[in-house]
Amino acid sequence: MAENNFRTLQSANKGKTYFLLASMGLLTWLVAYAALTYFGAGTASTIVPLAVGFALIGVWGSYYGSDKLVLTMTGAKLIQREDAPELFNVIEEVVIASGLPMPKVAIVEDTAPNAFATGRNPEHALIAFTTRMLEVMDRDELQGVIAHELSHVANRDTLVSAVAATTAGAIAILSDFLTRMMFFGGGRDRNRGGNGNPLALVFSLVILILAPLAALLLKSAISRKREALADATAVSFTRNPAGLRKALEVLAADTTVVRQKSNAVAHIWIESPLDSTSVSKLFSTHPPIQERIAALRAMESLGPSAGN
Amino acid sequence: MEYIVIGAIVLLVVFAIAQYNRLIRLNITVDEAFAQIEVQLKRRADLIPNLVETVKGYAQHERSTFDAVVAARAKSTSASTVADVAAADGALTSALRGLLAVAEAYPDLKASSNFLSLQEELSTTENKVSFSRQFYNDNVRSLNTAVKTIPTSFFVGLAKVGAREFYEVENPEDRNVPNVKF
Repeated sequence: MAENNFRTLQSANKGKTYFLLASMGLLTWLVAYAALTYFGAGTASTIVPLAVGFALIGVWGSYYGSDKLVLTMTGAKLIQREDAPELFNVIEEVVIASGLPMPKVAIVEDTAPNAFATGRNPEHALIAFTTRMLEVMDRDELQGVIAHELSHVANRDTLVSAVAATTAGAIAILSDFLTRMMFFGGGRDRNRGGNGNPLALVFSLVILILAPLAALLLKSAISRKREALADATAVSFTRNPAGLRKALEVLAADTTVVRQKSNAVAHIWIESPLDSTSVSKLFSTHPPIQERIAALRAMESLGPSAGN
Repeated sequence: MEYIVIGAIVLLVVFAIAQYNRLIRLNITVDEAFAQIEVQLKRRADLIPNLVETVKGYAQHERSTFDAVVAARAKSTSASTVADVAAADGALTSALRGLLAVAEAYPDLKASSNFLSLQEELSTTENKVSFSRQFYNDNVRSLNTAVKTIPTSFFVGLAKVGAREFYEVENPEDRNVPNVKF
């Protein structure tokens, strides 16, 4: 019973996310440690909380108001049942399958087919579709896409990415501060912190320089795992991997990309809005679409009764 | 020493409360999931008179199909236990399938806007019915697993919660094994 493919995939992807988030924590700790060795307790104890504070303020606001903020950032417009009764029918179906509350629904005027979900919790969830998405998808495909978006809501991915963004942000601010201070030689309490061990000093210097890059890589890896998890959760809702698989094939065949290419909101779309050529695989917020299609195909081969 | 004993007792009580609450919560979710099935079945039953009238307007000769749908609908509105509701639901689903198959033979009917909007309503309701069944069965599975596995199984008596019945639709078509002749 528990051996069903989508359930195994779900727990595997969840496990990987925890591992990645733990790595983020470890990285933050390493950076704090490096600051401590290099600059001594006096400087580190003011600067570490400061960086974390800055990052928290920046990210928490966008996390808390994510449903409203994203509306302005993407130009999405909220719609009611009367505007698109068929779309609402399909959404209601998946809502019943998932046991989530009904999300707000929005439309983005765009010639590229795409969709996203956001909101700080299931009660404040928002899912949005581009106008093109609704034109190119048939009912089954749309159901798969909606299930993928509602999976992000069910898996609390806005929270996960907010945590990832906060840590990455804090690390970036911290290492920025500290590398600057290094050049100006200020703040270093020579008599207390920097005593003795030159190896520890070199080590902390390397950490300070490499940490932001590592944090960025971890953040992207977390985002990719959450996408794979959302695909698996979507199948647990609809029990129809073929719908989402066909939808992804349509998206893969489509070469137009969403006009606003802001990096800031790239991770929330179902298909990466950035050109795959311009972003290397390691920094990508999404797994390669062919990989996702292959994973769904593998679930299809288990047969339609896989879920029961 | 006393602190350790008191601490252990407190931990044990907290643990027991958590297990008890988990069982109660699962049981309530199953109730809610069953209520959702009934809501969707009611919705579907409400659509049927309109659908039958629309199809009748174009296909008067299909008496037996209409009667089958109307009879299945009547049965489904009076059912109350899980097994009865599921059986009536299955009968109505196949009767409706027959009605839609009849509609296929009448191009005028298929083209009418009234029928098209009814068809959309019916297919979304069918999906909602089947998703609410799935949601119910998933929750019954979680509850039944909790009822039968340690440690929650120790608290079954206390919580007065037991294993629940799956919602299994009797679908004659699904049961018939294809007859292969050589």
